[in-house]
Amino acid sequence: MLGVLDACFIIDWSRYRRRKLLSKLFDIMYIHEEVLAQIRSTIAIEYVTELMMRGILRLYAWSDADETEFIRLRDDVSSDPRIPAVERPDILCLIIAKALNAILLSENVGIHRIVEYNPRYRNVSIWTALEVLENMVYKGLITIRDEEEFLDYIREYEEDTAHKFRRRRIEECIERLREWLRK
Amino acid sequence: MVKKIKPPRELLEKWKKEDEEARRIRRENADWNFIDRQPPKIRLALLVYIETGDIYKAAKIAGMTIGEFNEIRIRAKIPSIT
Repeated sequence: MLGVLDACFIIDWSRYRRRKLLSKLFDIMYIHEEVLAQIRSTIAIEYVTELMMRGILRLYAWSDADETEFIRLRDDVSSDPRIPAVERPDILCLIIAKALNAILLSENVGIHRIVEYNPRYRNVSIWTALEVLENMVYKGLITIRDEEEFLDYIREYEEDTAHKFRRRRIEECIERLREWLRK
Repeated sequence: MVKKIKPPRELLEKWKKEDEEARRIRRENADWNFIDRQPPKIRLALLVYIETGDIYKAAKIAGMTIGEFNEIRIRAKIPSIT
């Protein structure tokens, strides 16, 4: 499984006590050099460096065709104020994820909204840390006996990163996990 | 001229509700004493973050990178929400 990392995801995830598990979920992850340039905190730089040294995180080779796609997508993006500002590096990540058929790891609400309404990007899989944790359960990287144990993992993540997931999204996730636990 | 793809009205309504919910959660969780003690530029940036959830905008106002602003956000107990 391939992943693409954006800056908002890395900044939060690198603070998580179980951050090492991410490299067991993905075979290879990609990052754009402009995303690397956004990362300044020591903890996030150390995390990214560790992933690169292990060969799990690679720099994506940006092409002229990708740049053409960037211009097209940038022009597509509505200027509606309900779509929070997205910066160039975030859009690059979305383009990479589409090009590689990879999962985009992003906590950027603006990017999630583009995927929700833009027909050309509707098929891109985009996960927040919540879906990452959920998929770690399916892959046996974290073990749970019931939904309460999964909620403990969420609490840990929220505590370490000062990140909160919407209640509705947690409920949907728990519903999927209940189904999975029943099997 | 390229015609922009516009989100349907139902989606815009859904996003509006999500934004209101997120704003309320950020306001409720924020450490207002900490925010009040910050220099004006940082205080304004934190308020903008509470209102919009936009880390880029807030970091620009604070004159920081998004990583640096994230550290301040955490100390101010303002959750990022997805």
